[in-house]
Amino acid sequence: MSGGTNSGGVAELGRAAQAPLLRARGLGRSYDDFVALTNLSLEVGGGELIALVGPNGAGKTTFLTLAAGLLEPTSGAVEIDGAPAGSIPARRALSYVPDTPVFYEDVSLGEQLGYVAALHGVERIEERIAFLLERLGLAEWEDALPGEFSRGMRQKASIALGLVRPFSLLLADEPLDGLDPPSREVFFELVAEARAAGAAVVISTHRPDVIAAASRCLGIREGRLVYDGAPDPAAIEEFFEYTVADRAAADER
Amino acid sequence: MRTAAEGALVEFRRVRRRRYVEELDVMEVLYRVYVGAIFAAIGLGLLAGAINEAPVSASALDRIRVHAPPIIGIAIALGLLAGLRSGSHGGPLAIEPAEVQYTLLAPLDRGTALRPAALAQLRIAAIGGAVSGAVVGNFVFRRFPGSPVEWIAGLALFGALVPVAVLGGALLASGRRLRPGLAAGAGSVLVLWSVADLAFGLTTSPATMLGELATLPLQHGARVALAAVGVVLALALFAGGLLGVGGILLEAARRRAALAAELRFSASVKDLRTVVLLRRQLASERPRRRPWVRLGAGERPIWRRGAQSLLRWPAVRVARALFLVIAAGALAVAAWRASIVIAALPGLLLFIAALDVVEPLAQEADHPTRSDLLPLDTGLLFRRHLLVPTAGLTLLVLVAAVAAAVVSGSAIALEVGVVAALPTGFLLACCAAFSATNDPYEYILSPQIGNAVQWGPVIVAVVAVGVPIVAARAVWLHGGQPLSATLPIELLALGGAAIAASVIGERMARRAAEGR
Repeated sequence: MSGGTNSGGVAELGRAAQAPLLRARGLGRSYDDFVALTNLSLEVGGGELIALVGPNGAGKTTFLTLAAGLLEPTSGAVEIDGAPAGSIPARRALSYVPDTPVFYEDVSLGEQLGYVAALHGVERIEERIAFLLERLGLAEWEDALPGEFSRGMRQKASIALGLVRPFSLLLADEPLDGLDPPSREVFFELVAEARAAGAAVVISTHRPDVIAAASRCLGIREGRLVYDGAPDPAAIEEFFEYTVADRAAADER
Repeated sequence: MRTAAEGALVEFRRVRRRRYVEELDVMEVLYRVYVGAIFAAIGLGLLAGAINEAPVSASALDRIRVHAPPIIGIAIALGLLAGLRSGSHGGPLAIEPAEVQYTLLAPLDRGTALRPAALAQLRIAAIGGAVSGAVVGNFVFRRFPGSPVEWIAGLALFGALVPVAVLGGALLASGRRLRPGLAAGAGSVLVLWSVADLAFGLTTSPATMLGELATLPLQHGARVALAAVGVVLALALFAGGLLGVGGILLEAARRRAALAAELRFSASVKDLRTVVLLRRQLASERPRRRPWVRLGAGERPIWRRGAQSLLRWPAVRVARALFLVIAAGALAVAAWRASIVIAALPGLLLFIAALDVVEPLAQEADHPTRSDLLPLDTGLLFRRHLLVPTAGLTLLVLVAAVAAAVVSGSAIALEVGVVAALPTGFLLACCAAFSATNDPYEYILSPQIGNAVQWGPVIVAVVAVGVPIVAARAVWLHGGQPLSATLPIELLALGGAAIAASVIGERMARRAAEGR
């Protein structure tokens, strides 16, 4: 995982070297008549940084929550590091940063980080917390309650909660929303450190800077995987233009 | 042997509990307990004075001995049905969003994480049930054979076990991920089983067996053994639910966590309209895609819109409304025969049903921008919106009257019901409309006025339904015609409802003019 005082990391999780960190086969999720995701198959390997793109309502969050084990598929299956999503080995391997930060409102940031780290067996918890808070510019807020945070600080605290524990796969749903440019830089640094340690990172985003930094891009539209390839600007632009044109036509209808 | 993750969980919860206790205002808590105890004592005193203490006749006792367990069993089975349905939608636990995100996604057994919350919920429900049972037992022993200790202890045990069974059913449905249809089916089978017990005078259903416990001092022989089986089954149901609690669906838990937090807040500011909406979301209660009857195109759009809303009621809402009005009818009979104090309950149940019936009007109030754009006076719009709910509630009051007539075997209930249906339906529609259009923040700085505005419609509904019952009974006891007492009261109710409808129109027109 990320460097510095990291006490978790991919190696400690003891995963099989060849197994993909995420494998989805024919994955689908419907709500009554509404199909949020359909027949999605893909694999994610260690060290990848994947930008998950698509218009609002395309199925990006559905895919991430299915992989995190927060949602049950109506068809197909997801495996995390060779284990079914939501199982204890999968929960050990996967860290999920939701689109809306979630906190215990009666507990300080430091205590929450300590709790999450302890749940995942981090050894030098104090060092790990101090390292992350320092990097994310939250050192002075360790004893503050979440209710005192601004929107950007809540986002950074949510990222810290996702990174404080060991993982081999990080799923982050629009994590840069509300972050200032220096904080975005730090986030990219932390992600790079995680990748260097062998972890894979999947980021749902609309941001060109994330797409530019990615090693691979997945495009989802109307619940289908319609693009899986290099974050080639021309290809992405084509994908987005297609999406926009399609949306406009749908609106006219 | 506790794992490191489990150790972290226990320690974290201990710290949070300690902090919660430290932040409690002990004097405030003691004051609340003190005030609560005073009101409870006054309430019990009034209740004791109002309840008839004459011993029950031998023939009535025989009927009660045979019929009471299955009737109580039906009520328990209905509770189990509600519990199973709640469990199939992710209940009964309301887990914090952060607990789902961090604890339930951590590599530890979810059962270990959730069992303390389930046990805490059980503790509260069982204690509440036991106290309620003991209070009822304190009144029952005065009319029935058996010692006070037998009745109070028996009903306290019964009161504690019913929520245990209901919670157990809910936990089982949640942990085993029962589909809502299957949960409803299983619950309905239990209800029908107790109905069959009632029809054939048997005790075969688990719910009826638990019902035997409620009348234990009257029973002997095999019925006592069956009551013991009921106790074991209730405990087994809870144990089964507790063991499987870790199987909870996280998506249901997440959805419920968010809704439960909003529901608690809405209840704390007495925002009844939001409570109704959130409760429907919690139960995943959505209007039917296809209406029961499709209305063709035509004039009178407001009335048509109201009728279309009622015709899209899901089956579960229809069943709930029918249950509420049938129970209201049965309680009216109980008030007539057992204790007039019970006359306060039918109005409460009908008011709850009315909150669903005024949905079209409430939705209009929820979206003032939309109604402001209509080429119609806002006051008139809302007054017209009262017509369909009035018709619907008139029908429901008639159903309650029929239920009362069937339960009592007397035509008096039907006569009174026919006369009372329209005025009561109109007044209930106005009460529910008042409640649905209340702004919970309007009197936030004057909580006394706020309480009066929030509780006023409920009290009027209780009085509007209860007073005709009390008056009719009083006249009947003196050999008079019950209708002679009911008729003038209903005329008054009709006049009151007309004034209330006008006030609702004025209120909404004023809000529209103020741009609220």
